[in-house]
Amino acid sequence: MFNFNPIATGIESDFMNEPVIDIEDLSKFYGKARGIDHINLDVHAGEIFGFIGPNGAGKSTTIRILMSLIFPTSGSAKIMGMDVIRQAKEIKRKVGYIPSDANAYQWMGVNEFLDYCLRFHRIQDGRKRVDELAKLFELDLTRKISDLSMGNKKKVSIIQSLLHNPGLLIMDEPTTGLDPLMQSVLFELLRTENRNGLTIFFSSHHLSEVQMLCKRVAIIKEGNIIRVEDIDTLRKKQLKKVFIELDEPVDIETFNISGAENLSLVPGNKISLLFSGNISDLIKALSGKRIKNLTIEEPSLEEIFMHYYKV
Amino acid sequence: MNRNLNRMEMKRNSLSLFLWTLVITLLISVTMSIYPTFIENQSRIFGMLNLIPKGVLQFKGFSDLNDLLSPMGFYAANNVIYMMVLGSIYAIVLASGILLKEEYNKTAEYLLTRPITRSEIFLTKLAVVAGNVFLLNIITSLAGFIATGLAGNEIIRLRPFLIISIYTFLLNMFFAATGLFISTLIKRSRPVTTFSIGLVLILYFIYTLSKISESVSKLGYLSPFTYVDQKVVSPDYSLAPGNLAYFIGISFLLIAISYRLYLHRDIYV
Repeated sequence: MFNFNPIATGIESDFMNEPVIDIEDLSKFYGKARGIDHINLDVHAGEIFGFIGPNGAGKSTTIRILMSLIFPTSGSAKIMGMDVIRQAKEIKRKVGYIPSDANAYQWMGVNEFLDYCLRFHRIQDGRKRVDELAKLFELDLTRKISDLSMGNKKKVSIIQSLLHNPGLLIMDEPTTGLDPLMQSVLFELLRTENRNGLTIFFSSHHLSEVQMLCKRVAIIKEGNIIRVEDIDTLRKKQLKKVFIELDEPVDIETFNISGAENLSLVPGNKISLLFSGNISDLIKALSGKRIKNLTIEEPSLEEIFMHYYKV
Repeated sequence: MNRNLNRMEMKRNSLSLFLWTLVITLLISVTMSIYPTFIENQSRIFGMLNLIPKGVLQFKGFSDLNDLLSPMGFYAANNVIYMMVLGSIYAIVLASGILLKEEYNKTAEYLLTRPITRSEIFLTKLAVVAGNVFLLNIITSLAGFIATGLAGNEIIRLRPFLIISIYTFLLNMFFAATGLFISTLIKRSRPVTTFSIGLVLILYFIYTLSKISESVSKLGYLSPFTYVDQKVVSPDYSLAPGNLAYFIGISFLLIAISYRLYLHRDIYV
């Protein structure tokens, strides 16, 4: 059930039990080239959902289908219970979108562009919101878009996405070009908006960002979603990061055991590895070795991510 | 039609419309200002014109050099080309860019993610193209009418002026429809300006060639310029139904196909 205010987001009660984003068997092929291949995904109301994967994995293809910029080869996608193709106009009244490339109309002024965006939504009193967000992001509204830096263009893009008080915000690499200070301003704003009921779909290469903001994450690889996990669950997976320092030369064959991966020899009789097997097997393998130091810790999300990519 | 998008597009294209209108109007005015000198030196000029192959004069719609003596004949011989060729270049460049520009300038991700249907986008942009081409034609035709009247120092008959203006508008809209068609046909978004201008010039060249040389006269059917009756000095000059059907029919067909293609087009940015 949606845990945000349906009046503010304009969602009718009929859709209350449906996920905000519901993707079923969605495929997109560009001729013979694969975009995405039968992906399934649900994003629930009030979530901040991360969508991660490298270039060419299918993140942008998925987002572009959701925003009806491109058409799926097969399958379906719904936003707030509405079909993304047939009810695109209705959906866009309720969805905000931050594209990865922040190229607004170069010949317009910032104010002019934001007014242009507001008029599509027929919002009469949107100036207050514009001024509020511009102040938050320290954006000069009187400048021409072509004169803005990449970071400032991104701020314009962020502001336009929130002007109409959307129920869902879809973001494709939203922090590109923003300095760390502005990134934290953005994240704080997103957290506040999320507390007020905004569902967020956040596509990023930066796992640290996803880790900071999202509650759940989908990992997409070569057009397939290989994992959908809670961030906390992902962290709590059996995957461990192990550092071993021996008092003798390291024989790499010792670690030829099930679950040991990413073995890396370090000068000084040291070795690091990712271990997803039974830890007692590792201890058994090390028996008889002169262990100087042994550290087992939680891997970073980056390492977990890389681990999945080797699957 | 979306009023917000329409207003933005009209503003975006206003400078271009102004410059094209200004250039064509200036060309017409300068050419018509030569008319009094032409009349004063007609015998010497006719001597030179007699050296030109008859076919060249015929393709301009003259059976007789004396047709050039009337201000209307002089106007038609010298100025219709500006409005036909330059107007068509303006129309095809405007139309081929109006949808594609959103893609190669990467602004489509802002426009298509607003509460507006693709149908509304297409029809609004089509209305902007038609409006701009109409304004260009109205202003340049009016300028031509006034310049011709002033140059000849006499009242000019309105009917042939209206007819040639309607033909020119239909020709320009034909190229506008072609521009839209090209822009929805290409898979990857990139500017098609050079190709569009080249297409107009090639089709004009084919038309010219077909009029000058008997052996390739049938090639002329390939060019829309052939269907513009330029014999403004002829007493029974009128809008031929066949020519009208050609322009309206093909333009409508190209627009209808472009509309269908745009509704189902994958937009890459």
